[in-house]
Amino acid sequence: MSLYASAIKKPVTTALIFVAVVIMGLFSLTRLSVDLLPEIESNMILVMTAYPGASAADIETNLSKPLENVLNSVSDLKNITSQSKENISIVTLEFEYGTDIDVATNDVRDKLDMVTSALPDNAENPIIFKFGTDDIPILILSVTADESMDALYKILDDKVANPLARIKGVGAVSISGAPIREIQVYCDPYKLEAYGQSVESISSVIAQENRNTPGGTIDIGSNTYSLRVQGEFTDASQISNLVIGNQNGKPVYLRDVARVTDTVEERMQEAYNNGKQGGMIIIQKQSGANSVNISKLVKDKLPELQADLPSDVKLGIIIDTSTNISNTIDSLVETIGVTFLIVMLVVFLFLGRWRATFIIILTIPISLIAAFAYLMASGNTLNIISLSSLSIAIGMVVDDAIVVLENVTTHIERGSRPKQAAVHATNEVAISVIASTLTMLAVFLPLTMVTGMAGILFKQLGWIVSIIMIVSTLAALTLIPMLCSQMLRLNLKRGKLYVIFFTPIEKALNKLDDLYALLLDWAVRHRKTIMTGAALIFAGSMLLLPAVKTEFFPTQDNARISVSVELPVGIRQDITRDLAFKINKEFTEKYPEIEVISFSEGQANTDNTFAQLSANGTHIIEFNISLYSIGVRKEKSGSDRGLIEICESIRLDLAAYAEIKKFEVMAGGGASMGSETTVDIEIYGYDFAETDKVAAEIAGRMKNASVVSQVNISREDYIPEYQIDFDREKLALNGLNVTTASMYLRNRINGSLASQYREDGNEYDIRVRYAPEFRQSIEDLENIIMYNNSGQGVRIRDVGTVVEQMTPPTIERKNRERVITVSAVVAQDAVLSDVVTVANQEMKSIDMPSGLSWSIGGTYEDQQDTFRDLGILMVLIIILVFIVMAAQFESLVDPFVIMFTIPFGITGVILGLSITQTPLGVMALIGLIMLMGIVVKNGIVIIDYMILCRERGQSIITAAVTAGRSRLRPVLMTTLTTVLGMLPLALGTGEGAEMWRSMGMTVAWGLSVSTLITLVLIPVVYCIFAANGVKRRRRKFARLYLPKNFNH
Amino acid sequence: MKAVFISFNQAYYDMILAIMDRNNIRGFTYWEQVQGRGSKNGEPHYGSHAWPTLNSSILAIIESRQVDNFLDLLKKLDKQTEALGLRAFVWSVEQNI
Repeated sequence: MSLYASAIKKPVTTALIFVAVVIMGLFSLTRLSVDLLPEIESNMILVMTAYPGASAADIETNLSKPLENVLNSVSDLKNITSQSKENISIVTLEFEYGTDIDVATNDVRDKLDMVTSALPDNAENPIIFKFGTDDIPILILSVTADESMDALYKILDDKVANPLARIKGVGAVSISGAPIREIQVYCDPYKLEAYGQSVESISSVIAQENRNTPGGTIDIGSNTYSLRVQGEFTDASQISNLVIGNQNGKPVYLRDVARVTDTVEERMQEAYNNGKQGGMIIIQKQSGANSVNISKLVKDKLPELQADLPSDVKLGIIIDTSTNISNTIDSLVETIGVTFLIVMLVVFLFLGRWRATFIIILTIPISLIAAFAYLMASGNTLNIISLSSLSIAIGMVVDDAIVVLENVTTHIERGSRPKQAAVHATNEVAISVIASTLTMLAVFLPLTMVTGMAGILFKQLGWIVSIIMIVSTLAALTLIPMLCSQMLRLNLKRGKLYVIFFTPIEKALNKLDDLYALLLDWAVRHRKTIMTGAALIFAGSMLLLPAVKTEFFPTQDNARISVSVELPVGIRQDITRDLAFKINKEFTEKYPEIEVISFSEGQANTDNTFAQLSANGTHIIEFNISLYSIGVRKEKSGSDRGLIEICESIRLDLAAYAEIKKFEVMAGGGASMGSETTVDIEIYGYDFAETDKVAAEIAGRMKNASVVSQVNISREDYIPEYQIDFDREKLALNGLNVTTASMYLRNRINGSLASQYREDGNEYDIRVRYAPEFRQSIEDLENIIMYNNSGQGVRIRDVGTVVEQMTPPTIERKNRERVITVSAVVAQDAVLSDVVTVANQEMKSIDMPSGLSWSIGGTYEDQQDTFRDLGILMVLIIILVFIVMAAQFESLVDPFVIMFTIPFGITGVILGLSITQTPLGVMALIGLIMLMGIVVKNGIVIIDYMILCRERGQSIITAAVTAGRSRLRPVLMTTLTTVLGMLPLALGTGEGAEMWRSMGMTVAWGLSVSTLITLVLIPVVYCIFAANGVKRRRRKFARLYLPKNFNH
Repeated sequence: MKAVFISFNQAYYDMILAIMDRNNIRGFTYWEQVQGRGSKNGEPHYGSHAWPTLNSSILAIIESRQVDNFLDLLKKLDKQTEALGLRAFVWSVEQNI
């Protein structure tokens, strides 16, 4: 017994099976977590190696180069870039998407083992750091404090960071901006010299005094005691009373030559929130944990933590990524609701019967909810991609149900009992329902196989739509006939309300049928005119192609802006701080949209890995601005300016400050996707002067282009620095070498880490160095005394000279070559392709010195890669769709005729994109791919019926007209459900709507235009091919049966 | 004894069986899927792409006195929904075992 016959025979079983599916789906829904995007496994590995005190050039030659050479042989590597800056080398390995990052990490570790021994002695061990979307902070808290400022680090560490880190799913919690306690031993060089002491000797005395030593065990009487010397300092003031030596038989105390201050580290990054000093707590999640949940847990915990803090310490929120996520998801859920209503309305208008509408609409929740079970089983989340897949599917799931229900109705009207009608009617259409689902699967299943970035994003879309289509087909073949057999009745009597409402609609539809039949009748008799017209329309739309602009992902208004302001290098921190306050004040007054504004300035500690990743220094200010989210911006601030608009305005403001050397305003706050688009021009070459010149030239030209709002050069300015040129001969004469000499210098200026002071389980550095007043001039440096092995003191000026030099602070390399990147931010109304065009033109016209090369990278490179992948996919999909159709019709000609719909789908897309000025991005391309499956469905419906009419013995032209007329309504109905189903996506204005707008636009335009054209064109093309077939058969017939010498 | 051959749209099966039961007609032979077309009008029943419907047939050997009533009832059934199609033919049975 067939599937549908048994379903109709056993209505209870059938109904309950679907109820079970719905319950499972709903159960999964309660367990699903919410996220913005599907989990993107990181494809980056950072190798960070600190070499305190080394300059960028040293780091490049001694660390970055050897590391790159070794790491370059790791498999699946896409790009290797490195940044060599003062104190640290960061080598970034970018792998192809989809590479198993754990395997890659192991490879990297093995390679590092090989090279570690060859690295400089003072360089710390390379740290491997996987950086993915998981590492983007999910929450940044602000801390403001007054009196507690000095102890802020410890307070935050104990009372905020540790409790927060214990929350399930929270990864790293780092504190920045709060000064860290340090015990400084400030020496007076003159006194040191007088007492014959040095920084090194003091340092070693402190280290030796500050020690706990176990002395073994001792048996006394019948007991065993352990023996211990507790030498560690219990109070910082004990240090100043240490005896560091003897002079003339009297002890020399540390306080004689130095002062000990229990204070904070000297150079630090300062953070201000809404104008008040404090710190920032950066919270990252564990890999795979859910940001929305964690963010909620953290926020729930905050009042409790706040109660425990000193009264002047206040916690606040600077950035909360979960607001954007929940708002985006909410607006998508709303879109799905609207789509559902629209589809319901269309079905009702066309069918005019409540029961039939109910039966059809029932497939929507059932198949959609089934998709949640898949999400749960595969460990995915509710995100933009999975939810917009649902929205896309709504319009398509009803198609199968409509076909089945229509046929059952026909049978009932002919006189069958509903039960019999349901069985036989379903039997008749089962094959074509399955075939049309297969064409959809031919489109969506290949999506699950895309590689690269697009693959990660669209795997879910492919699976979800495929699963929904399969479930809806199963429902159409079992549940729908079952419900029809139970609920549909032959009811020729129409209610009064029905007559009032539906008579005009019925009349209009009939009129439409007649008009269409007339048009078709004319068209099939003027085949040449129609074909020429169609060709012209297609060619015309192709002419519009240059007007279509391309982008990667649209910029999303996530209400976050990050601004980085750079003053001339080497400027003192106080001046930077003053300017930061001024800008802070101006922004707060000028932009009521700002909810929180925080900034940090100053040199970050080498221990703070998070801060080290971004540029920092005494001349750099980093602003983090959080606007009111787009949904409430209007009511909270009385202004509804968009993110990009505000950014443009901020750029103008900053340009007015003469003291600012360089600034960068980033919309989206550096989020991975949906942030502002940039075009990166990479200029490769070893020589700094040459590459700088080219970069400056191109940056200047790009800045003048109207499509560019901001140009940044990746290479920063030359830092003025003092270098000490030692004379090796003189050093050797004095029994010294460069290493020992430089160590002496370093210990006096940077300080020597003597030991660690322990208090309450925390360790604080004890640093011995010259007091600040003795390291303020070049003379101070020249007067530094170094001691050789025989104890003789030599001053630096006797063995070397102090010279001023300029060195680049960060040396960037990509694929083992020095690179300088000029990145141009795309202006408000322009898109990626505009800027790429300008960049290409300018680069061609520029006078490039030999030995230099260039390429365009950044977003453009990603876009090209993704477009290429999707392009190949599209060809594959067209072939698959053809195969499925050829199998269904058992013919090669008929699917070929149907294929004529595809070019007009593209025509519609081009038309839509150029009229609405929407750029073609990845989302639009996905829309285009989906369109391939959707547009051919119309063709299938028409051609199928034409073949049927021909088989029933009609002539070609009559068949074409009859079929067209009879299939007009089903085609219009399925098209309308899909197009109108896409409208809420295409016209959405909620938070995050930018992401899927272009996809909705593409499908809606492509499908509408292609339907209008194919409704006329497909019958015509069919007539041409069918007529040729008939002529061929006649000729064959003539050859076979007429005598050879027959003459007309 | 008469042989009644009924050829009808599949959808009639349940109803014809009900009529036979009411009239104490027990024995019959039933072909679930047969194809055919009417001599004058009506759609062919081929189970094909163009003509997807199918017929069934019943051959029942019944007592002569039952024939008229049975045919009347079948005719009534046919008249209710002519579009489906139902035909019955009767001939004599000469011998049986």
